[in-house]
Amino acid sequence: MLAPWHAPAAAAELQPVAATKQLTFTLPDVAGAAVALESARGRAVLVHFFATWCEPCREELPALSRLALRAHGAVNVLAIAVAEPDRRVQKFLETTPVDFPVLLDRDRAVAKAWHVVSLPTSFVLDTDLNAKFVVESDYAWEAVDAGTLASASAMAAGGLTAIKPINKRDSGG
Amino acid sequence: MHVNRRDVLKAGAALTFAVELPALARADINFAPSPGTWRNFQMTTRLEISKPAGVTQAWIPLPSVDEKAWIKRLGSTWSTNGKAAVARDPHYGAEMLHVAWAAGEQAPVVEVVSRIATQDRAVDLAKPADRSMTLSAAERGFNTAGTALIPVDGIVKETSDKITAGRTTEIGKVRAIYEWVVDNSFRDAKVRGCGIGDIASMLKTGNLGGKCADINALFVGLVRAAGIPARDVYGIRIAPSKFGYKSLGASSEVVTKAQHCRAEVFLTGYGWVATDPADVRKVALEEPPTNLALDDPKVVAARKTLFGAWEGNWLAYNVAHDLTLPGSSGPQVGFLMYPQGESGGARLDCLDADAFKYVITAKQLPTT
Repeated sequence: MLAPWHAPAAAAELQPVAATKQLTFTLPDVAGAAVALESARGRAVLVHFFATWCEPCREELPALSRLALRAHGAVNVLAIAVAEPDRRVQKFLETTPVDFPVLLDRDRAVAKAWHVVSLPTSFVLDTDLNAKFVVESDYAWEAVDAGTLASASAMAAGGLTAIKPINKRDSGG
Repeated sequence: MHVNRRDVLKAGAALTFAVELPALARADINFAPSPGTWRNFQMTTRLEISKPAGVTQAWIPLPSVDEKAWIKRLGSTWSTNGKAAVARDPHYGAEMLHVAWAAGEQAPVVEVVSRIATQDRAVDLAKPADRSMTLSAAERGFNTAGTALIPVDGIVKETSDKITAGRTTEIGKVRAIYEWVVDNSFRDAKVRGCGIGDIASMLKTGNLGGKCADINALFVGLVRAAGIPARDVYGIRIAPSKFGYKSLGASSEVVTKAQHCRAEVFLTGYGWVATDPADVRKVALEEPPTNLALDDPKVVAARKTLFGAWEGNWLAYNVAHDLTLPGSSGPQVGFLMYPQGESGGARLDCLDADAFKYVITAKQLPTT
């Protein structure tokens, strides 16, 4: 299991993850199809936990969607809605469409297993699905080059920490 | 507030650390719930599902709390074009009307009428304790255990230990937690994100704001982590406050959005004691002219009163956590304070007025 991450007081940055064990999940997407993290093996993966009621999450999803488009498949984005009714997420996506799968962690089981304590939280996984970086806040995905993200996921800790993050703390839900 | 030595001695050691309240309650603020006047109420919940997709079900909470000191159940009746039966949660005794509609039903509807009698609650914690009022070991264990949304270990236990350090009595510990929650459960501008819905994530993120289901859950969790029985009581406001608090009562007969949960702590010698730190914050936030300081007389009075008393203008549904809805394959619900529904196997969104409509009304019945 990963060690729990406590939200640092400093501005949000991608923090290296020192975990050794791989993470896994299989969750339904909003259309009801089961999606396994394992199916993304072979490419860098961005796993993004969010909630539709969480204001910074709502602002961040479109930027993630643009990142997914820029990545041209080099980075898989998987978003996970935490503890929300299916219909609420489906309806939200009608007005805020995204270019990546949105999965439903209906009972928080995956969020808890990944030690997610605040939303949004994003993990960058390498091609073997090892978590390399985590950010427990919204993040300046606009400033991230998809190619850099894909290669940095394989780099040692610190590869992405120079990127200046968005810092919109006051908009927390 | 002036606290002289004699008052402190009279109140006992438990109050010696009470916050120095900065202002006397104004003469026109008399927030003093006191038992003695029972009133009967009738509540009607009408629920419609306008876009059913396949088999449809609904679960409507029924008044399940019956305590001779403050609330009596007077029964429920219903009408529906589905198949309805009362279901009872096996752990907490929470009752709900479970309604199932066949896949071909285009306009599922149910109307439930429940009646209760209730009155104000107040306990005088300055009175000598009645040592015969205790809770069995099993009940203590049940009401100090963690739940999915209210873990009592980790950061919750650490926080509780810090708050109660140096307190030696149950009342002292609970009072310290109450004051801490009231002082800290505002929305912190420095918070960096939203919690995932449990109180551990609230404490970890520092985002202690929220509504009753957050603030009073935090209070209950911190008290339970101190080894003292506590529980949330989920319900709905059904009448205006007779003490002039607009924010603490229903503003009309339509109470569709007036759900409110309170909290109880079990103090040896006093029994289950009424508390409501979330309503102290609600008074501060909403009472005209709004955004009152904690030393505003209205807030001071609410803070003083809501440790030991609450007004009988509210209906209690249940004290249940982590309920499995009978007949549902979906996730448990952390609590049952809102009607729940499912259609085509998917949980409906109680905030989605297009697909899942309900209207709740409440009125006082004439005294018989």
